[in-house]
Amino acid sequence: MSKKWLLAMTLGAALVSGQALAEDKLRVGTEGAYAPYNYVNDEGKLAGFEIDLGNELCKRTNMTCEFIQNKWDSIIPNLLAGNYDAIMAGMSITDERKKSITFSDEYKPVDPSLYLVKKGTQLDFDKLEGKSVGVQGATIQDDFAKGKWAAKNTLKSYEKADQSLADVMAGTVDVVLADGEFVRTAVAGSNGELEVVGPQEMIGGGIGIGMRPDDTKLHEKINAALAEIKKDGTLETLTKKYFTEQK
Amino acid sequence: MLEMLPHWLSDWLGPDGMANLAYITNGKHLSWYASVRYTLIAAAFGAILAVFFGLLGAAAKLSKFAPLRWLGDIYTTMVRGIPDVLFLLFFPLAFEQGVEYMMAQWYCKPDELAAATTWPLCANVQWYLSTTEYMILACVSLGLVYGAFAANVIYGALTAVPKGQLEAAHAFGFPSREVFWRFQVRQMWVYALPGLSNVWLLLLKATSLLSLLQITDIVSWADRLGAPNYSPVAGLVHGDWRWKYYLVLFIFYILLTWLSEKFFAYLQARAGRGMARAN
Repeated sequence: MSKKWLLAMTLGAALVSGQALAEDKLRVGTEGAYAPYNYVNDEGKLAGFEIDLGNELCKRTNMTCEFIQNKWDSIIPNLLAGNYDAIMAGMSITDERKKSITFSDEYKPVDPSLYLVKKGTQLDFDKLEGKSVGVQGATIQDDFAKGKWAAKNTLKSYEKADQSLADVMAGTVDVVLADGEFVRTAVAGSNGELEVVGPQEMIGGGIGIGMRPDDTKLHEKINAALAEIKKDGTLETLTKKYFTEQK
Repeated sequence: MLEMLPHWLSDWLGPDGMANLAYITNGKHLSWYASVRYTLIAAAFGAILAVFFGLLGAAAKLSKFAPLRWLGDIYTTMVRGIPDVLFLLFFPLAFEQGVEYMMAQWYCKPDELAAATTWPLCANVQWYLSTTEYMILACVSLGLVYGAFAANVIYGALTAVPKGQLEAAHAFGFPSREVFWRFQVRQMWVYALPGLSNVWLLLLKATSLLSLLQITDIVSWADRLGAPNYSPVAGLVHGDWRWKYYLVLFIFYILLTWLSEKFFAYLQARAGRGMARAN
């Protein structure tokens, strides 16, 4: 038997055993930088609304959850590549994303996106011109701002949401458009230095769990468990624990 | 853990000092300190591989067999010209997809191969790279890039050994292999070490690129810890502290450089013992 064969067979065996394991283990990709949805806590571990929710779902489907931190901009490609089996990262359900992945039912309804500025910044949202608008790249806010603001303003796309916070604080960017809860959390913790201005933008669908389209079994399992925890009030309790407002 | 500190120390630090101490010793920070292992492992194995590839490259450049000589020249010219960032991005990806492509020829069904429009060619050959695989690929990449520099240094050093020494060794009846190893290579180090210490420092700096391969190294941790946090559940609320964390990294790298210089001075003295000096 040649060495090539041996290598191929070892790798093949590793792949097969990996798939067998995947039955009782759910690997969940998350960003770990979008409080209160998901973040790294003081112990250096992933925590947040989605971590609690994911663990609850795993408990009810007799699986063990393993959370894997992945950068936002490669979170969908790495799901498709099989690095993990599901995405729970505050990801809105959109038609664009549905072209490559499927979503579970929503576990958080639409929350309007908000504009965040440094306290005292005056902006005329009816005719915004020559300003710099910050968004996190590849988000629904990114798409939205491209359509609405890009023509007369400069769009700044950030890899991570917290970089946009640093820039709005430093005055490098005039206004940041981000998820409502994320913005409210930032304002609450900013010691009065940040505030919300302008209109609320109703963009995107609710937030759901992203999965590979061919993973129909997992899809059914997750949706059944979601329906269960919606019914018995567990989801509401978790939502209340992490979010300031319910819609 | 902090309760174990002696009283006089906690009294001296005061409540503020204790709070700061608690902050820089929380789990997040401990993970940061622990991530230094990636930097050190990549530097150590990268350097070993660089010397290995360097010796191979230099041997190829000195070969009497022309194609091997061309290969050595191509290696040193090409790889030295490619920015290390690009090489670190290119090589692991190309390697992964190359392996997947080869495996696809065995494991994918012909109709799957024909229909494949995306990567990987079929689900059976998906190769998932974890931090361990990425670390191995990072070490090999660093070894290849800096091996090209090392090859040139070693090549230069080998030719700098005075011809008379080698002729004398031959005259004493040493076989060619022993002349090469016991005379040429043995004396080569004196000429090579200053150049190699430069290559080592460059390699050390390049270890800060590990985060490109999704390795949570000291740089990615500094980024995460320094990023502003306004959410009390996620830890201490603070503004943009990235400069503080980057400053710690500056100091860390300068310290490593200083230690390296000491070490190379020692090596230089050791390699040069028993040799005549021209001063």
